[in-house]
Amino acid sequence: MAKETFTQAMSVAPEPQDAKNEKQKTSFIAFIADKGIFVFTIVLVLTAVFFVDGFASLQNVTDVFHRAAPIGIVALGMTFVVITGNYLDLSVVAQAAAAGVILIAVSNAYNLIVAFAVAFVVAIVFGLVNGIAVGYFKANAVIVTLATTYIGLGLLRLLSGGSQVFGPADGPIATFGTSKLGPFPYSAVVLVVVTLILTFVLTKTNFGFMIRSFGTNSSATRLAGTNTGLIVIGAFLVTSMAAMFGGFVLAAFSNTAVSNMASGFDFEALAAIIVGGTSVFGGKGSVPRTLLGVVFVSILSNVLVLVQVSYGLQQVAIGSLIVLAVTVDALGRRVSKK
Amino acid sequence: MTIPVIEARNIVKSFGGVRAVDTVSVSVMPGEIHAVIGENGAGKSTLMRILAGVETPDSGSVLIDGTEIENSARDSIDAGISLVHQELSLIPEMTVAENIMLGTFPTAGGWTKSRKMKSIAAETLKEIGVEVDLDERISRLSVALRQFVEIARAVARKPKVLILDEPTATLTPAETDYLLTMLQRLASQGLAIIYISHRIPEVFKICNKVTILRDGKLVANDSIDNLTPDKVIDQMVGRELKLDLSQRRQAHELGEVVLDAKGIKAPKVNGIDLQVSRGQIVGLGGLVGAGRTELIRAIIGADPKSSGRVTITSGGKKRIITGYLSAIKAGVAYIPEERRTDGLALTMTVSENIFLPNRNQVAPSGIMPKGKIAAFAKELSEKVGLRPPEVTRDAGKYSGGNQQKIVIAKWLGRNPTFIVLDEPTRGVDVGAKAEIHKLVKELADNGTAVLVISSDLPELLELSDLIHVVRDGKIAGTLAGAEASEKSVMSLAAGEKLVGA
Repeated sequence: MAKETFTQAMSVAPEPQDAKNEKQKTSFIAFIADKGIFVFTIVLVLTAVFFVDGFASLQNVTDVFHRAAPIGIVALGMTFVVITGNYLDLSVVAQAAAAGVILIAVSNAYNLIVAFAVAFVVAIVFGLVNGIAVGYFKANAVIVTLATTYIGLGLLRLLSGGSQVFGPADGPIATFGTSKLGPFPYSAVVLVVVTLILTFVLTKTNFGFMIRSFGTNSSATRLAGTNTGLIVIGAFLVTSMAAMFGGFVLAAFSNTAVSNMASGFDFEALAAIIVGGTSVFGGKGSVPRTLLGVVFVSILSNVLVLVQVSYGLQQVAIGSLIVLAVTVDALGRRVSKK
Repeated sequence: MTIPVIEARNIVKSFGGVRAVDTVSVSVMPGEIHAVIGENGAGKSTLMRILAGVETPDSGSVLIDGTEIENSARDSIDAGISLVHQELSLIPEMTVAENIMLGTFPTAGGWTKSRKMKSIAAETLKEIGVEVDLDERISRLSVALRQFVEIARAVARKPKVLILDEPTATLTPAETDYLLTMLQRLASQGLAIIYISHRIPEVFKICNKVTILRDGKLVANDSIDNLTPDKVIDQMVGRELKLDLSQRRQAHELGEVVLDAKGIKAPKVNGIDLQVSRGQIVGLGGLVGAGRTELIRAIIGADPKSSGRVTITSGGKKRIITGYLSAIKAGVAYIPEERRTDGLALTMTVSENIFLPNRNQVAPSGIMPKGKIAAFAKELSEKVGLRPPEVTRDAGKYSGGNQQKIVIAKWLGRNPTFIVLDEPTRGVDVGAKAEIHKLVKELADNGTAVLVISSDLPELLELSDLIHVVRDGKIAGTLAGAEASEKSVMSLAAGEKLVGA
């Protein structure tokens, strides 16, 4: 019995004594890196409720969610690629636009079902090309997806003639764009449903587990007998699906679509993911965190608009926020490594 | 009476409670080639890093020409000590001349004087008798030429003492001969050379004096004339045959051949055949860098092989191994050398780590059953003696021994037919080590074919039914039963002919 307790005491790695002081300093950074988004969101919301005129109305709040939905849906999907580690998908700009243009143009020419089918196939092709290049051939994700953005936008301009397409004013797309479920616009409902589905996939399925495991330690995951190329391809496919839905929702907003409609989605989606606390180093992160990141960035923009900050300054603010978030992520990682 | 050009007095250096160098004194005269030898982990490299000022000793002093020097790399270089590292430290994208002059670029007002740089580099290469284009990039040179450029860089600083750490590890016999002759010539011009090597024949060929380290302690310091290769190996291994033979595995009747690898060639592996049978534990002995890890990784497909054929037979069914995934499918389990980077996801829980290779068995539907996974992980954790068996705790929160048990546990779930363990107890405490040994033996008793790589000689002898000693990517000899001893393994590993055979 005495022997048992002895080994038990020895079996847990002891903490070095001299590290205690430093630990207090570093645990603050670790806390901010991990839980910061929750604190900041609460502070931001309370500040907005009490000090910003026009924020705390149902109309304004549902409006914020309504406008956040397209980028939010894209960001939720891209979270999968980010969690696999060091990857992101810039081509969501082209993918969302393609989905929007296809949705309206093809349903004008044929019908909605054909439009969905075509958009689906295009999304699969995007996901496969990105995923195979990055996951199987180990090409750099930034460059690959930058290139597929170019290819995608180019093809889209060729095929659509670069002009804006409009849906019929009384068509199902226009109806979707303006309808509400109780006080909630359909777009916000889609945002929540996608969050629920992707949360389930990431936390409760073998596929989601492999994504997290690969992002945490790719070498150990490979050596445990895993086809790691398939994991990365899967992550890009999830992103493509989300980008497609994001494009649909965006097109339904105004019942129109054009090839540059989703410009800025790449950066804004990444911003939401990083601010939400998903680590760009892979492994650490979750889908609800991205939703929270989306909410935070959207409320911040909304507040800045309400207090009449110019668009240029808004950009400066969001950009600074990202630099801060990525730095805290890197610091938090260094701290937890010690 | 000349004074030693370099002298170390009572050097002590500890890493985390382990004395890597324990009160060692060494002195070297001008023109002397002084060998420093010992087993893996005997403290040779640490001692050399202290002499070169890269590492600071806990106590003791280093004297150059009788004057004590401060311990910093810069001071040591200024004082005339040059260290040629074990790992090549050249910059592949730069030219030969630039690499030779790295850190000592001749400059004028901030501009590099490239003509002067080249002339010094050319002179140095001539001095050591190596012909190579000064403008060639390092990345285009052979390994041997890179090694010579590395030496040229050290010599270009006009050192008084040249320290070489295993310079011949990657060289062919002809290249080695060339290097040895070069060193003899440099020594005849008055340079003091400290030569670290595992290779006994080389030591006897060129060295005047020998210092032998064992477990960080000085065990011999003598003129080469008073030593024989046999004596040197005795001193290196040190331990009398105190091996507890009751711990040693009893010979078994061999089952069918499970692993059959023929003509394996890969980087650092030069054509090896290997067989492991059901219920057999085969050990791979040899020095660090001999190519053992490369061999087994090529066999199981974790790294590509350039030629060879591998089959795994289980239950009468023979499968050809084409890649790592096919090996895993055929029932291979691989416990890698680097458990923290290759064996475990440290920031994931024990449960998740164990689930990883067993997911298709535990969650065939693709949806993770939380309770079932926890129960599965718990059962395996208890089987390997994880303490405490808390499967929701992060793997990284456990000690080295426990982490290794988790790695073993995750593979046990698959009932492997062939298991490879690379340095299974490195950095593991004594208690856990014994438990891991017991687990490995039990696996073999239950019919698993086992392959163990170990640089820990008593461990290798205790576990293995049969020991292949690997040297320079080839099997230098095979030992079984009574002929396997620390000395016979070490002799084969170090390149000395098999004693008494």
